[in-house]
Amino acid sequence: MGFLSPSYFLFFPIAALVYFLLPQRVRNMWLLGCSWFFYLCAGREYFLFLLATVLLTYFAAQALEKGRRRGLLVGTLCLFVGALVVFKYLGFGLSLLTQLLAALGLDWSPVVPKLLLPAGISFYFFTAMGYLIDVYRGKCPAERSFVKCALFLSFFPYLLSGPIGRGPELLPQFDSLHKLNYVNLKEGLLRFLWGAFKKLVLADRLAVVVDTVFAAPQNYGALQVILAACAFSIQIYCDFSAYSDMAVGSAKAMGFDLIENFRTPYFSRSIAEFWRRWHISLSSWFRDYLYIPLGGSRRGVGRKYLNILIVFAVSGLWHGAALSFLVWGLLNGLYQVVGSLMEKPRRALRGAVRLGEDSKLLALWQMAWVFGLATIAWVFFEAGTVSGALTVLGNMVKPVLWDAGGLTAMGMDKLEFLAAVAGLLLLTAVDAVSQYTDVTRRVLEAPRWVRWCVYLGLLMVVVIFGSYGTGYDAQDFIYGQF
Amino acid sequence: MPVEVKEEKKAKSGRREALWAVAFLLAAALLLHLAAAVLRPLHMNYGSTWEQYLAEPKDSIDVLFLGSSYAYCDWNPGVMYDESGLTGYVMGGSEQTPAITYWYLKEALKTQSPTVVVMEASSLFFDRYRNYTQINLGYMPWGMNRVRAILECAEPDKKLGLFFDLYFYHDRWKELTAADVEKIFPAGADHLKGHTAVDQVFPALEYSQEPFLNELTQSEEVCRENLEDFARIAQLCREEGIDLIVTVNPTYSQYPQAVYDELETAVTANEGVRFLDWRSGFDQMGLDVSKHLYDGGHLNQDGAQIFSAYTGKFLRELGYEPRPQTEENEAAWEETAAYWRTMAAQ
Repeated sequence: MGFLSPSYFLFFPIAALVYFLLPQRVRNMWLLGCSWFFYLCAGREYFLFLLATVLLTYFAAQALEKGRRRGLLVGTLCLFVGALVVFKYLGFGLSLLTQLLAALGLDWSPVVPKLLLPAGISFYFFTAMGYLIDVYRGKCPAERSFVKCALFLSFFPYLLSGPIGRGPELLPQFDSLHKLNYVNLKEGLLRFLWGAFKKLVLADRLAVVVDTVFAAPQNYGALQVILAACAFSIQIYCDFSAYSDMAVGSAKAMGFDLIENFRTPYFSRSIAEFWRRWHISLSSWFRDYLYIPLGGSRRGVGRKYLNILIVFAVSGLWHGAALSFLVWGLLNGLYQVVGSLMEKPRRALRGAVRLGEDSKLLALWQMAWVFGLATIAWVFFEAGTVSGALTVLGNMVKPVLWDAGGLTAMGMDKLEFLAAVAGLLLLTAVDAVSQYTDVTRRVLEAPRWVRWCVYLGLLMVVVIFGSYGTGYDAQDFIYGQF
Repeated sequence: MPVEVKEEKKAKSGRREALWAVAFLLAAALLLHLAAAVLRPLHMNYGSTWEQYLAEPKDSIDVLFLGSSYAYCDWNPGVMYDESGLTGYVMGGSEQTPAITYWYLKEALKTQSPTVVVMEASSLFFDRYRNYTQINLGYMPWGMNRVRAILECAEPDKKLGLFFDLYFYHDRWKELTAADVEKIFPAGADHLKGHTAVDQVFPALEYSQEPFLNELTQSEEVCRENLEDFARIAQLCREEGIDLIVTVNPTYSQYPQAVYDELETAVTANEGVRFLDWRSGFDQMGLDVSKHLYDGGHLNQDGAQIFSAYTGKFLRELGYEPRPQTEENEAAWEETAAYWRTMAAQ
């Protein structure tokens, strides 16, 4: 049941309405029932994984609270990581081993068992592990109520693709009485609608160009391949931030505040800043539960850079069991390390040419630079294999700039292209304004006629210009596969 | 400010906001409806011409023709009127199954009270789902009949689009013209009266004069379901006091005789239903197979003129009389008849 499926449009109003009508004491039970139903819709065979995660987390948290038993924490975390390795990385690990042995002249072809990869497993495992570490560190008490603990791990808005929840922020919210609040409802629905715009009007429209060109980059000119790579950078932002908008919006309509997952990352002026504004719930998870425990920046510069590379390598592998994801992660880590190493010379250069740190020109240049670097890294993310990514990158620098056939050959006609450009301009404008003010708040506080124009305008843009329905290949959310 | 006054103010403001919310939802529904009306392709022929049907004066139709493409190709109500004075309308659809026909009849009877319903029989051999559900149900007027028709007769993957037709047509924004906007305003009655005039002549018949014999491929279960739907049509006609005639129209696309024998037995098992096998009545009606077939199955516009005149005459012989019409409507029908006379003369 995707956020943009008819079944969700039926499910969500019922879930929310009944939630508000029920007495407080049974509301969490209702939400848990709804969340488990939501997960069952993703695949009945996955449910046992979620249930086992809930049971393990609940009892481990109780035990951890009774005494700070490091062994228990490590054992439980190993169970989670081990399960992830088995279900997500076994095939990848064995194939790497096979290649390694083959390189050494040893012929070994193990049978890789076909295992289920439960939907959202990377997300709810990370929620559970973060919670257990927080309980161990005393940052949040172990939740006594099984229902509340289960709901925290399974809450449907973030269950399948985040934002990854944190116990200290979310658990208290399941204790609060959430009355039907018209402002929250409007804010939530507007966020949801904005998410639908990003997904249907932009991400899925750009996906056509990206898929077409990435499938055979050799058939296109360098500019076309660059255009497709840039389109993917925008597509993945629109796709994933749309999911987060819809998750945050759904939760908000019921009175819950989830962590913001994106803060206009392409307006960042450095890769380090980009990662503070992109997939924030995962980046901050790695920061708090991996980077800092590894020593962070406290053990010298060399160790700091090593820690960054480790975190980004793990982050890459979190996204998928393939070398290309590892390269993507390491490349982002490397950008940060090099960026940090080059900071002083760059400052000196800026000083020499009298370019102030608050100069708009500098800001634009840095944003463009970040976008370019991110785009190169995204090529590894999208191409699926390292060799595929290198082919795409190689085709970006070939002498033929534009191959015959133009946009049509890239899977998009002129009007579709104009729709995409118009949508992008709107997105850029909204993202730019959101640097200075809370756009959603501004809309909600505007005069009624302005609000109505925004709501109705956005609704009509989504239903008319959205990529859905007959003749469209419905695209799953990219992060749904992680 | 006293607490009661504050509470009262809060309640009033809550009620006002609720009213605004309802107004917003209505505005959104209206906009979506208008967008759907503009983006839905213009549909003037090939069946399912509901907008034009609804423009006919209430209770002015004597004969309602139902069925699949055979119905709208073979019968031209304007010509029938010219011959017999009987007014008629073809409310069929391409490859329309009997289940959909039932809901068509139910909907059609909301504005008309025909004396007789003439249903062309080919659909009784159709599979449960055919190719044109999107058109057949998508142009039905909104209401319970449409909702139930969609739930009962549409393919599972079509249901969403039939409930929310922007799902089918929203990407037509790229091809919109002024004509698309104009169709927000309902079409008036036209001279077609549900008929579709096709002008080609099937060339193969210049060489072959024997009907094409098809095999019945549908399972017994499908045929039984079709007959159950037909029984509902017959029941509805009985309840409304409308005579029901089932016809096999002149065609060179035929099944073996035994199929029609079985069909006749099954159809006439319903009380008051008359079965007419006109399959091979070409000579009797004055039809020429080398000139009047469109594709071997359907009649072309010249064939339809002859067959419609024959049908009108036949119905009058059965005792069906034209109902009195208003002066205005009579003039409109005369104009329609004149239009078709002109067309025939060209």
